[in-house]
Amino acid sequence: MEHARHVFRVLLVLLLVIVVVIVGRSFLVPKSFGMYGNYRYDNVPEQMAARPPLHGGARSCADCHDERSAVLAKGSHARVSCEVCHGPLGRHVKDGDVVAKMAIDRSPRLCGNCHRKIDGRPPKFPQVVFEKHVEGGLGPKGCLDCHDAHSPKL
Amino acid sequence: MPEITGYAFPNDIHVHWSLMIVMYPYITGFVAGSFIVTALYHLFGKNEFQPVARLSLAASFCFLLVAGLPLQLHLGHPERGLFVMITPNFTSAMAGFGILYSFYLMIVMLEVWFVWRGEIIQTARRSRGLKRAFYAALALGTYDTSPQALEIDHRAVKVLSAIGLPSACMLHGYVGFIFGGIKANPWWSTPLMPVIFLCSAAVSGIALLILVYQVTAKLGRRVIQADTVSAMARWLWFFLIITVTLELLEIIMLAYENSEEWHIISPLLTTRLQFSFISMQMIIGSLIPFILLFIVTVMNRYLHEKVRNTLTVMASLLLLLQVFSMRWNVVIGGQLLSKSFRGLRSAYEPHLFEREGILVAIVLFVLPFVILYVFDRLLPIEAPPGAHAPDPHGDAPPAAGVSPAA
Ligand code: HEC
Ligand code: HEC
Ligand code: HEC
Ligand code: HEC
Repeated sequence: MEHARHVFRVLLVLLLVIVVVIVGRSFLVPKSFGMYGNYRYDNVPEQMAARPPLHGGARSCADCHDERSAVLAKGSHARVSCEVCHGPLGRHVKDGDVVAKMAIDRSPRLCGNCHRKIDGRPPKFPQVVFEKHVEGGLGPKGCLDCHDAHSPKL
Repeated sequence: MPEITGYAFPNDIHVHWSLMIVMYPYITGFVAGSFIVTALYHLFGKNEFQPVARLSLAASFCFLLVAGLPLQLHLGHPERGLFVMITPNFTSAMAGFGILYSFYLMIVMLEVWFVWRGEIIQTARRSRGLKRAFYAALALGTYDTSPQALEIDHRAVKVLSAIGLPSACMLHGYVGFIFGGIKANPWWSTPLMPVIFLCSAAVSGIALLILVYQVTAKLGRRVIQADTVSAMARWLWFFLIITVTLELLEIIMLAYENSEEWHIISPLLTTRLQFSFISMQMIIGSLIPFILLFIVTVMNRYLHEKVRNTLTVMASLLLLLQVFSMRWNVVIGGQLLSKSFRGLRSAYEPHLFEREGILVAIVLFVLPFVILYVFDRLLPIEAPPGAHAPDPHGDAPPAAGVSPAA
């Protein structure tokens, strides 16, 4: 045993290294790591704070555009949210003040997103074949020549 | 943009695992291979390996220090690399790296310490000032070189080799596992992968040591031991046969099954990997060294020493190329085929100057030798004449006339 002193020393050094590693690791592991899984949970609120939601939902426009909302609510587009056709609230209004004009897409492409005849769409959903829908082709205002975007049923 | 033939999904036409990921298994292969050589001497009593036992342990250590570097260079955020050790995700095979690497590093450092302890103490006794302080610290303050203490060292080295050998195999087998476990890729997904990686690691390790042994012996004007060279050639031949058999078996199996995977792998091998697989890995890298080593092994008795040395050196050089092409063909080859199994992208060509480029790869390969040189300065690899360096092989006397110090 007397001649094994160096072995004990090296084992002691090893133990020291292991302790340093364990203690060091406890400093390096991020605080919220492993709370809900193998990731740093704090990252979730951080990312949330970094990306404020832009959309306000269907009701958010009614505060200032109640007559438009009333029109929409009565027509066949009642189930279509304003932001689908225009854009997210956040680009138009911030903290209750208008910061920019809201986009308006007047092209037939907007309507085509939902109404162009495609085999994959449910057959009951109102669809038109653009090329055949209007005799002689579309006029200068496109679909809006005849349909009101907010209350499209004629 | 890479050129596509056939049909490839747009998201799998990029070679993300670059040249650095080729270098990584190449370098860890040397780590495992060199350790196998030390273990042949320390564990299995192959006394012919005595002249290279210390060299191979030192080489394994030096390559190990570099092994993580290609991975760091590959990462877009190298500073996050450490987290694979700090917060490992055990459902990912890559978590294995931290555990296996640090455990093996610990074992090798301990073994180095026990093997070189005698010299450390000698140097500490002989020198003054800072140098003395350094070596005294390395010796951990105990200067016990009594026969009993040396006997304990021998036993420690034996135990450490016995733990180190499986750890080295695990460290390298795990690299193969990473590829073998990717089930979407038929060129990788086979349980043979870790075994093939391991056997070719032994090939590259022995081949490298043959070269380093011959070069260092020439530089140090020492006699190149004939039986060491022929023993290494024999073992090299053995591992070469196993490796190439497994590599071929895997492909023949795919070809014979003739399933849908083969319809992409066969064009992969005959077009994109024609040069690196058929010419380099199979013909220049396997067939020719096989013949050379066949001559060395079977006609050993009739060979002049110079001829034997030249043949083994040539075979070793070719085998270093073989193993590199094998790593290349696995890592890069697997990324040239689309998971649609219907398309191939054009070959991947690394640039000379880039973070994951050719120059960096060369530096990575040279770096371990620089470390080996520094190692040799601090802890002489060849025991100096007259120093009573502990014979690391306790019970068996060294083979006749082998002592390099003579
Ligand atoms: C804070 C009150 C407020 C809210 C909430 C609000 N708006 Fe407005 N909006 C206005 C005012 C004021 C104008 C007129 C300003 C102008 O013409 O520049 C306007 C103009 C518009 C215009 C016409 C722009 C033009 O070019 O003529 C559209 C379209 C519009 N809003 C859509 C919406 C939609 C959709 C929402 C809900 C996501 C919404 N707004 C929410 C106050 C509001
Ligand atoms: C189906 C798509 C669609 C929906 C849903 C829709 N809009 Fe519109 N909106 C339009 C189009 C298209 C125009 C342009 C009408 C035009 O120029 O005749 C428009 C114009 C407007 C205008 C400008 C008025 C004008 O005549 O210049 C306001 C304000 C407006 N919308 C608000 C709303 C609000 C608020 C909602 C939700 C309650 C809403 N819109 C929902 C498509 C839509
Ligand atoms: C976001 C999808 C969407 C967009 C964009 C859209 N619509 Fe609609 N539209 C609907 C839905 C949903 C209905 C209700 C269908 C139902 O009642 O089954 C509807 C109903 C209609 C109807 C009544 C069909 C019927 O027989 O009841 C017309 C007409 C119409 N839309 C025209 C338009 C026009 C014109 C545009 C372009 C300004 C447009 N829509 C843009 C979703 C959309
Ligand atoms: C020339 C006038 C006119 C124009 C322009 C026009 N429509 Fe119509 N649309 C009609 C009439 C009329 C109907 C039938 C009345 C109804 O069912 O409400 C109709 C019906 C529809 C319907 C309901 C179909 C159904 O099966 O219930 C949709 C959807 C529609 N139109 C979409 C469009 C779209 C999209 C455009 C632009 C590409 C467009 N319309 C342009 C006149 C027009």
